[in-house]
Amino acid sequence: MHVVYPAVVSALLFSIGVYGVLARRNTILVLMSVELMLNAVNLNLVAFDVWLRDRLHGGQVLTLFVIVIAAAEVGLGLAIILALYRNRRTVDLDRLRALAEPAPGDGAASPAPGRETAARAEETP
Amino acid sequence: MSWLPVLLLAVPLAGAVALLAPSRMDAPSRGRLLRVHGLAVSGVTFALSAVLAATFDYGDPARVQFETDLAWIPGLDLRFHLGVDGISLPLVVLTALLTFLCFVYLCRGRADGPGQLLRPRAGGNRPRALVFTLLVLEVGMIGTFLALDLLLFFVFFEVVLIPMYFVIAVWGGRARRAAAVKFILYTLLGSVVLLLGLLIVWAQAGTLDMVALARAHGTGMSHSVQVVAFVAVGIGLAVKTPMWPLHTWLPDAHTEAPTVGSVLLAGVLLKMGTYGFARIAIPVLPDGAAAVAPWLGAFAVIGIIYGSLACLAQRDLKRMIAYSSIGHMGFVLLGFATLTPVGVNAALFGNIAHGLITGLLFFLAGAVKERYGTADMPALGGGMLSRLPHLGSLLTFACIASLGLPGLAGFWGEMLALLGAFDPAPGLSRPLFLVFMAVGGLGAVLTAAYFLVMLSRVTHGRPTETVHAPVLASSAVAGGSTGQGVAAPAEATGVVRAAGAGGGAHGSGTGGGARGGEPSGGGSGARAAGGGGFRDVMGHELAAWVPLVLLIVLFGLWPKALLLITDPVVRTFMGAP
Amino acid sequence: MITTAALVVLLPFLAAVAGLLGSRWPRHVRGDHPGGAQTGPERAEAERADLAAGRRAAWIAVVPTAVSAVLAVWLAFTRWAESGHDPGGPFPFEAGGGTPGAVTGTLTVIDTGSVPISLGLLVDGLAATIGVLVTLVALAVQTYSVGYLHGDRRYPSYSAFISLFTSAMLLVVYAADLLVLYVGWEIMGLCSYLLIGHWWEDRANSRAAVKAFLVTRLGDVGFLFGIFVLGTAAGSFRIADVLAAVPGMSSGTVVAATMLLLAGVAGKSAQVPLHTWLPDAMAGPTPISALIHAATMVAAGIFIVARLHPAFLAAGPTLDVLAVLAALGMLGAALAALAQDDLKRVLAYSTISQLAYMAAALAAGSDSAAVFHLVTHGAFKALLFLCAGAVIHAVGSNLMSAMGGLRRELPVTFATMTIGFAALMGLPPASGFFSKDEVLVAVERAVAQGPLTDAAALLLYGSALATVAVTGAYATRAWLRTFFGQRAVVALPEPAPGVAHVIDTREAPATMRWPLIVLAVPALLLGFAGLSGVHWGTAALSVAVALLGAGAVYAVWRSDPLSDPARMLGPFRVPCERAFYADSAYRALFARPVLALARLVVRTDDRVVDGAVRGSGRAALGLSGLVRLTQNGNAQLYVTGLLAGVLLIAVGAVVFG
Repeated sequence: MHVVYPAVVSALLFSIGVYGVLARRNTILVLMSVELMLNAVNLNLVAFDVWLRDRLHGGQVLTLFVIVIAAAEVGLGLAIILALYRNRRTVDLDRLRALAEPAPGDGAASPAPGRETAARAEETP
Repeated sequence: MSWLPVLLLAVPLAGAVALLAPSRMDAPSRGRLLRVHGLAVSGVTFALSAVLAATFDYGDPARVQFETDLAWIPGLDLRFHLGVDGISLPLVVLTALLTFLCFVYLCRGRADGPGQLLRPRAGGNRPRALVFTLLVLEVGMIGTFLALDLLLFFVFFEVVLIPMYFVIAVWGGRARRAAAVKFILYTLLGSVVLLLGLLIVWAQAGTLDMVALARAHGTGMSHSVQVVAFVAVGIGLAVKTPMWPLHTWLPDAHTEAPTVGSVLLAGVLLKMGTYGFARIAIPVLPDGAAAVAPWLGAFAVIGIIYGSLACLAQRDLKRMIAYSSIGHMGFVLLGFATLTPVGVNAALFGNIAHGLITGLLFFLAGAVKERYGTADMPALGGGMLSRLPHLGSLLTFACIASLGLPGLAGFWGEMLALLGAFDPAPGLSRPLFLVFMAVGGLGAVLTAAYFLVMLSRVTHGRPTETVHAPVLASSAVAGGSTGQGVAAPAEATGVVRAAGAGGGAHGSGTGGGARGGEPSGGGSGARAAGGGGFRDVMGHELAAWVPLVLLIVLFGLWPKALLLITDPVVRTFMGAP
Repeated sequence: MITTAALVVLLPFLAAVAGLLGSRWPRHVRGDHPGGAQTGPERAEAERADLAAGRRAAWIAVVPTAVSAVLAVWLAFTRWAESGHDPGGPFPFEAGGGTPGAVTGTLTVIDTGSVPISLGLLVDGLAATIGVLVTLVALAVQTYSVGYLHGDRRYPSYSAFISLFTSAMLLVVYAADLLVLYVGWEIMGLCSYLLIGHWWEDRANSRAAVKAFLVTRLGDVGFLFGIFVLGTAAGSFRIADVLAAVPGMSSGTVVAATMLLLAGVAGKSAQVPLHTWLPDAMAGPTPISALIHAATMVAAGIFIVARLHPAFLAAGPTLDVLAVLAALGMLGAALAALAQDDLKRVLAYSTISQLAYMAAALAAGSDSAAVFHLVTHGAFKALLFLCAGAVIHAVGSNLMSAMGGLRRELPVTFATMTIGFAALMGLPPASGFFSKDEVLVAVERAVAQGPLTDAAALLLYGSALATVAVTGAYATRAWLRTFFGQRAVVALPEPAPGVAHVIDTREAPATMRWPLIVLAVPALLLGFAGLSGVHWGTAALSVAVALLGAGAVYAVWRSDPLSDPARMLGPFRVPCERAFYADSAYRALFARPVLALARLVVRTDDRVVDGAVRGSGRAALGLSGLVRLTQNGNAQLYVTGLLAGVLLIAVGAVVFG
């Protein structure tokens, strides 16, 4: 089998993952999209490992590493999402903006709770 | 190799470091020890500077004496090079004297006297931090005048900024934080440009030794390089001087700084800029100076007129004196711009005279502010000569000295600057400088006008019986202290952080005052004790002011005392025989 | 001789220092400020301390001035005896510092990097003569002030300032270097400020003091520049060197220098464009008016022209300008004097007018006539002012409408003041007759020959003759209104601090009376020093003209002794009283625009200069605000940015790599 087929499949898979990360609102779906991207990379690794006939099978070993790390990541990510859901009753990414710089004047308008912790004394020289 | 300049730096530094040691004494005895400490350290420094002046060889003031030349950073060929000659000696002595007088002012008075920032008060006004800051400031100021290595000069130049920032930001008046931020940002900006200029000089001339550079007289640097370097160095120094239009940090800083801060700011810090012109910009970069001199002169005379006119319409006494500094520094810069020996002599003379006179004026303005609770002239209401006759008389004296009356120190600097402008160096446009001279002369009239109008408004007339209750009341409540949000135990650590880590300490040090409600002008405890009539000049104030008065009269009646030691140096620098 | 001159200068200076610092020392008692809670005994104690301080200050002030006067007289006498006075001249003095008989002494030379300044004194005939005048008038004023300001709390500082004033004027007189002269010149300005503003409780006095200082300082700046021109051209600021170098200078240099000097002269001697401070300076205590007007400040301007007369003679255009200014000044000021109601202002305008006479003599090329008139004027004007002070002291008002019929109550003052007015009008045998005659003769000669252009000389001569008539008129008017007729019944207002303290129509105390009598002697007899030089034709003409003016006023006054003879001026009375609106014009032309400009500068400073600074701060904050718009908290946006960046780098690497 020519290496192009798995490569194309993996590229498609990766693109779907990218799309999911960038466009989906549901945090769980974003996490799944990340998994897709990881697996696209895994596919590539295995395919090229076979194609290059690597004696040490570095690609396959690395794939195993990635799978393990992905599992850990999913576990951790789901736990965070669960905690988030418990706190906020939502997993909608668009409404999770605690990282934002508080724009001057709309401190109260934002629906996101927990923002006030980020608020600091403004100093106008 | 002489130890005297090193000692001049080491004594205040050691005095400052000694304050970091923790002490287990109770508050009153600690306060007493602190006052003795500050007085002693600054006194020893002043005595050292007096020894320096006494052992100085007046037969040859153009030679650098008391030279100390140690390797500092050998990899970069930076040297710890100190020394004194005819133009730095008066400034070193002036610095030591003014710092000592500031400590006299702070330490000698009774607890209920005005301006007693070193007295412990409720809420803590951090006397230890003040002493520490002032001593570090003194190290920087004396170092600037002693340094003979360009980068060493720059380092000391910068060392001064941080303590002054804290003096304004912690012990200042109502709008002190904005003023302090403006001060430090503005002067740091100037310093960056100055550094660039110094680096250009270094890159082109290959040495940082000021003596060698001055001797070389610009050889080895092309014309365009000199012009660029002069502009860069000049802007850096002009911010400090300050030259119009780079002056706007000055009124704010002066208005908000406590009395001792204003005195040192006007008396010494401004001199660092003009000293840089005499020491670095003009001797090292003569071609650049010749190219830029007409512009320098133009800005100088604009500053004279502009400062005078601004004074004429000021309401606030301290602000007015700050603007008057701009006018006087205009005369100093005009002297430099003529590039003649007489002009540079005039500038150096004007420098010292301005340090003495404006130092005295700020002491007096501070005393007025502490007694009346305001420095707003309409609110002062007039009649000071009948209410506080001695203070009013001293204020009259200082104003008259400042407006350049012959027979007092202020005159010779102005007169010689105008004389220099009458006959500028060859190569400069004579008609242009004649115009500068005429405008400068008009500025002298305007200077007289605003000082006399101010005297007429404040000291003449009948005293109004208005008591400015709101200010005084708040000061009585606040006890004249600032930064009350910081508890007393935090004081000692606050000092360490203040010295070490600029920005962080700023937040903790000054945040308290802003949240603590209405911070009053620095220590206006004049009325705290009696509540009755105003008290006229007190002993500690007189002790701090009389030396300045005497020196103003001395230099006015005997200008030779200064010209004798500056003139040979200036002639050497200008390449004249 | 130089040591003596130095002593003459230094003694009043030391007296000033001692008077300022030592009057209340060592007891250091000082009345607490008024309005404070003071019990009766404390107040009495404070008053006693004030009186004691006043007594001590009086001794400190009078004795050194007296010693100084004696030394000055001795100095003049030895000069006179040594040089043997010139029999041809009308008055024993020589012009210029370059004369061989002059003695100079230099203490030290200050290197400035350019033309050096030499601290030195110069004694010649001119200096010695004026020195005597200054010290004697100062002595009279000091003695008089003891009585005039008896009980004034600020007498110690007042007398110290007079001493300083005297010292400064003596420095001007004896200075051998133009810059040393300038030092004294300016210190006088300061002292006039301090003394005119002596009663500073009143805002008007304070304003008058400020005005006097500022107007003279405006002139002084020109004076300083004139010194620069002369000094750099001559390579020295020493008067002798400058005068020696004048013939070698280009005419442009000399004209520029003298024109600039003229600005200072006009300021100090109250000549036409800069004269407005002088009438206002009457706000000061009367002895001060005598000092300023007779011997010191105003004399300084004439003195300096006489001192540098060779330079002025070499500058024809300057002399023309001086002549025109003098012509305008003498007639205008005399007319203004005719319309004033304030006795002191009458004398003030008459001073401007008489100084213009001296300036006229100088312009006509006769410095000896000018100095002669300066000396006699110094004597009789000091006398007139001190008499006016006695009158004001007695009446309690400066206004002539409140006076009248005082010749019986104040016989001594009446007699002495009559002598003074006679001298002012130029009636024989008073001193003014001889000196004014000298001036008129000089001006007359200038019409025919001399440095002036014909038009200027004619104008000057006509104006001088007309002024003689007007002088006769206003002097007669003041004399009649003060001492004759009936005292108008006016309700006196509460005495303001600008007037005397005791309203008691009696002869003044002895310390005030004696100076009058002593000054009356030279005012009457000084002229005989110039007896040999009288030109009887001109003298008869001037006396006739003066009597004509006096007669006209007398006729008008006879018709209605209670009303003001100034009504004969008709519609010109108001402009004359306002001194031709010079003050209002200056206020509109200079004072207001400067203040408006000052406000503009403050606004500009705040909005433009500082606005740029604050604006740069705000711009930095605004830019950071723009950047932080992207920090909206949406992680997906951040990742998109990341991806876009990676893509850009990748594409860049491919395309450019």
